[in-house]
Amino acid sequence: MHLFQKLLKAGSSLALAGSISAALAVGAHAQTELNVVWMGWAEESVKPLMDWFGKENPDINLNYQRIPYNELLSTLEVRLGSRTPEPDLYSADASLTASYAARGHLLDLTPYFADDLDRFDSAALGAASYNGKMYAGPFATSMQLMFVNVDLFKKAGVELPSTDIDGRWTWEQVREAAKAIAKPEDNLWGVLLEQSDRPYQLLPLMQSKGAQLVSDDGLEATGYVNGEKFVEATQFYADLFGADKVSPPGLFELNLVQEVFHTGHAAMMVGGTWNLGRLEKSADFEWIAVPHPYFAGGVPVTPTGSWQIGINPRTEHLDESVRFMKFFMRDDVQAEWYKLRPYPPVLKANWDNLSDLLKGKPWEIAKYELQNTAVPRPPIPGFREYEEILKLAFRDIQQGADVRERLDKAAREMDRELAKYK
Amino acid sequence: MRINPAYYFLAPAFMGLSVFKIFPIGVAIVGSFYGTTLIGESVFRGLDNYLSIFGDLDLLRSFGITLLFNLIANPLQIVLSLMVALLVFRPGPLIGLFRSVLFLPVTLSLVLTALIWNLLLDPYLGPVNAVLDAVGIGRQGFFKDEAQALGSMVWLTTWRGVGYWMLFMLAGLYAIPESLYEAAKIDGASWWQRFRHVTLPLMRRPIAFVLVASTAINMLFFAPVYVITAGGPNGATDFVMFRIYQAAFNYIDVGRSLAMSTVMLVVVLAVAIVELWLMRSED
Repeated sequence: MHLFQKLLKAGSSLALAGSISAALAVGAHAQTELNVVWMGWAEESVKPLMDWFGKENPDINLNYQRIPYNELLSTLEVRLGSRTPEPDLYSADASLTASYAARGHLLDLTPYFADDLDRFDSAALGAASYNGKMYAGPFATSMQLMFVNVDLFKKAGVELPSTDIDGRWTWEQVREAAKAIAKPEDNLWGVLLEQSDRPYQLLPLMQSKGAQLVSDDGLEATGYVNGEKFVEATQFYADLFGADKVSPPGLFELNLVQEVFHTGHAAMMVGGTWNLGRLEKSADFEWIAVPHPYFAGGVPVTPTGSWQIGINPRTEHLDESVRFMKFFMRDDVQAEWYKLRPYPPVLKANWDNLSDLLKGKPWEIAKYELQNTAVPRPPIPGFREYEEILKLAFRDIQQGADVRERLDKAAREMDRELAKYK
Repeated sequence: MRINPAYYFLAPAFMGLSVFKIFPIGVAIVGSFYGTTLIGESVFRGLDNYLSIFGDLDLLRSFGITLLFNLIANPLQIVLSLMVALLVFRPGPLIGLFRSVLFLPVTLSLVLTALIWNLLLDPYLGPVNAVLDAVGIGRQGFFKDEAQALGSMVWLTTWRGVGYWMLFMLAGLYAIPESLYEAAKIDGASWWQRFRHVTLPLMRRPIAFVLVASTAINMLFFAPVYVITAGGPNGATDFVMFRIYQAAFNYIDVGRSLAMSTVMLVVVLAVAIVELWLMRSED
């Protein structure tokens, strides 16, 4: 054993001694405790399902911890990186399946779901797989639409975008309409990107232009992230915040962006279907949802992928963890999950089971996009690093950095970080 | 051989220091020579981690930003804390209230301080910008403007730090014998001459302490960068500590992160030694 590992082990032993004495103090109990790290959705969206599992499994004491998105990924890095048996299960971002699987942080679920694989939507199952094996349980997928404040369009006398797939607007049309409506000095904006710094939402712009995001082997970014088409699409993005002044720069919090649109301060917002509930319930303006824009001369590409559930391969409660996983992969549980938080279903049966709720034009568009234009983020082992570096680059570009220089820098940093996967 | 009883009294503190300070530093230094494979095994990398960081121009730029921040923030905090200490030094009406108000920012956590100032200085929602707009100055980017972000960080750390350092300055002021001021007055010294020739020389030690302590804190400045700017805009607040965090938790390269931490430790020690040498007194 190397000296460094010995030193770490000595430190861990001290911590372990503390844990053992704490456990002795509490005393043994019959229930098995499952530790779950969960995405930081609102408690009212999470508790009903956890309680349901608890009722059906009285021998399991569920200890779940909700962590906000921004902290979740680094928390998981620390906890999984320590390679201990806990957490037993965790919410895994679909884009990181390959990264977690390559590093031995996900249990191969194929043996447990071998007879069930055709129940899952193929794109969602693909995102949960690595090297042909299923490593995570698909729990949600996502789709983005463009939400339109009809009142603001009418007030400005601008023609509304079509709700038909065939009438899908180009980004160029979006920009022109946004310029005609925006009045930044009055805090009135033309178009918002709900996750304005996250590659999840922005990569489809580059893909719509025909850009390749990373080398085929996923190990090189130079020539791709700073390639011509990538730069062109990013320049368009930069201009929305800079030259055109139709989008507020520096607004990175998803909740704040949503707030701007839902309070009537923006004419359009490209955002997730999770906005539908709030709009239907409480919007005090007329609104429509239209297909995600694309670049003229390019192809329509929409973002997808969302949350999965993973089992830590080092868990000491494998049976209980598998029971948890199987519970959350049930049709009725995921149907209830949809009612708590309307992500597009990942189980084929639920499109029928929830047909009463998944009706209307917005869901018609979402279903079409999921089947025809949705492209998941690149399933490369280094996506965690790729995403983080690109996110910081997008932030800087949004706030005025030179597009080409900043993407050159990002590509350089990515190459350095991706090298460890060679 | 008889052991000096003083060592028995020192033993608990030494043990605490060993477990909580020296051991982690040792782990960090040893770890800086290792890397981790994808499946979590440690591998000896020799000097590779150090060679990679010395060849990283972006990291060298981060050291520059961190040093510039310290060159501005530390003297500013010393001057302001000494000034406010002088203002609230003499007893007077409501002096206790003034001292409490000046100390109040210290009671807030750094993360909370960052959240508050981020909101106050927000270009769209912040009340500070609403006032600037109303008086005709116009809205400022503050943390979201490349040219203003570092200055805004200096303001944030100074706002929180001055009240704390004021306490040490006050302690120093109280230690100056009153008789020296009386003698100076009898000799006809003006207020400025008393400050220049009595107060300042005798405050050398407290000032040296505040300088070294604030350097140690500000060289390791991190939380507001994480909360507010994530190193931006365009690298304007790309402090070394943020890069160390990124290497460990976002880029999953603990060895490199520990190598940067070790270099940072050496830099902080070197700066502190230089500061103490500059502030040395003749006695």
